[in-house]
Amino acid sequence: MHDVNAGRAAEAFATLTASAVLVNPVGLHARPSVKLTQSAKGFAARIEFALAADGPWTDAKSPVKVMRVKAPQGATLHFRVTGPDGEAALAAMLALVRDGFGEA
Amino acid sequence: MTLDRANREKLVRALAGTVIEHADELTSLDQAIGDGDHGLNMKRGFEAVLATLPDLADKSLPEMLKAIGMTLVMKVGGASGPLVGTFFMELGKALPEQPARADLVAATDRAINAVKARGRSEPGQKTLLDVLVPVQAVLANGGDARAIAAEAARAADRTAPMLAIRGRASFLGERSIGHMDPGSRSASLLIGAAVTTLEFEANT
Amino acid sequence: MSSSNSANVGIVIVSHSPKIAEGAADMVRQMVGSAVPLAWTGGDVDGGLGTNVAGILEAIEAAWSPAGVAVLVDLGGAETNSEMAVEMLAEDRRVRVVVCNAPVVEGAVIAATESSGGSSLAAVKRSAEEFYA
Repeated sequence: MHDVNAGRAAEAFATLTASAVLVNPVGLHARPSVKLTQSAKGFAARIEFALAADGPWTDAKSPVKVMRVKAPQGATLHFRVTGPDGEAALAAMLALVRDGFGEA
Repeated sequence: MTLDRANREKLVRALAGTVIEHADELTSLDQAIGDGDHGLNMKRGFEAVLATLPDLADKSLPEMLKAIGMTLVMKVGGASGPLVGTFFMELGKALPEQPARADLVAATDRAINAVKARGRSEPGQKTLLDVLVPVQAVLANGGDARAIAAEAARAADRTAPMLAIRGRASFLGERSIGHMDPGSRSASLLIGAAVTTLEFEANT
Repeated sequence: MSSSNSANVGIVIVSHSPKIAEGAADMVRQMVGSAVPLAWTGGDVDGGLGTNVAGILEAIEAAWSPAGVAVLVDLGGAETNSEMAVEMLAEDRRVRVVVCNAPVVEGAVIAATESSGGSSLAAVKRSAEEFYA
């Protein structure tokens, strides 16, 4: 459902990109995955991330897909955000990663 | 067959009695291929049924069967509670107060289908359906109490060489072969007790 | 058993072991937070390993949300008893409770995560079941 709304919004908004390095020791493990997903769900924008600048892209709003990425500490998360609240969404994602999901 | 209050109470006591009497045997069967709680679970359920006497037998046959089913669902636990409980509840929904054999044939058919749906299972998978289905066929063909009880016992025996596909025993795979299915054994005990009490006569 | 008032989809955890059910609920609370109505149940009516319909009905009641309730179960009997419990609910509630085909611990965390974002019951179920896909 989120995807449908985000998809419609995407036509009118530019795609924003930025990256951040995973600093917390466990990387993108279960608990950080949940936090990332929860935060992403708070935005209308389509939010995706990847371990490389050219993908493959993972939907940040899908708990299962985010957990499957299993990115380790030191990995770079590339974000790709499109939507009406894209800037705020991107800032929130980057802050979460750089803060080590509050557990670094 | 007429079912007065005395007969209804006799039926309940016979059903509960056979399960309670064979609880240890059911547990041993379940220890071989399940989690070893079938005897205890069924005994607990039927003790709870007995505890609802004498009021239970004051009810009409359909209401009594529904009440037995509900008690079993609430008290037996495991997968058997919902399966056996569903069978009784569906019989209660389908039977008139004084059923003729045709009513029983139709009601057991309906109850078997409900058990299939509840367990998402079919005969041949080493479950109580492997007793219920062939016994229902004997009932439908006019067999008397002796024939029905004999088929129930034989059908339970026939589950021994089967490979379990549903339920806990399916985790054992090939190792489930060679042991009688505990749920089939308890179904056969219940059927034996019921038909003996009701003194079915051959009807061809 | 615990719960919280919320319009988010409720989560019910059903295990043969009350310790597993409670532990899984603890993980959900710690990882996902308290924005999701949550309840757990485990054990047979005598307190041994098993599940019971009355306990499941109570847990559904405790985790009730107008958005519905997703039930996560462990082994066979837990699923059968949960389906039985759902059928025994009043009709208007029955249509808003689903039993998920997902591993109990992972499924509960994922379902709660999905729910905490305000997703629908169907989306919560789909997400939990994605774990096996």
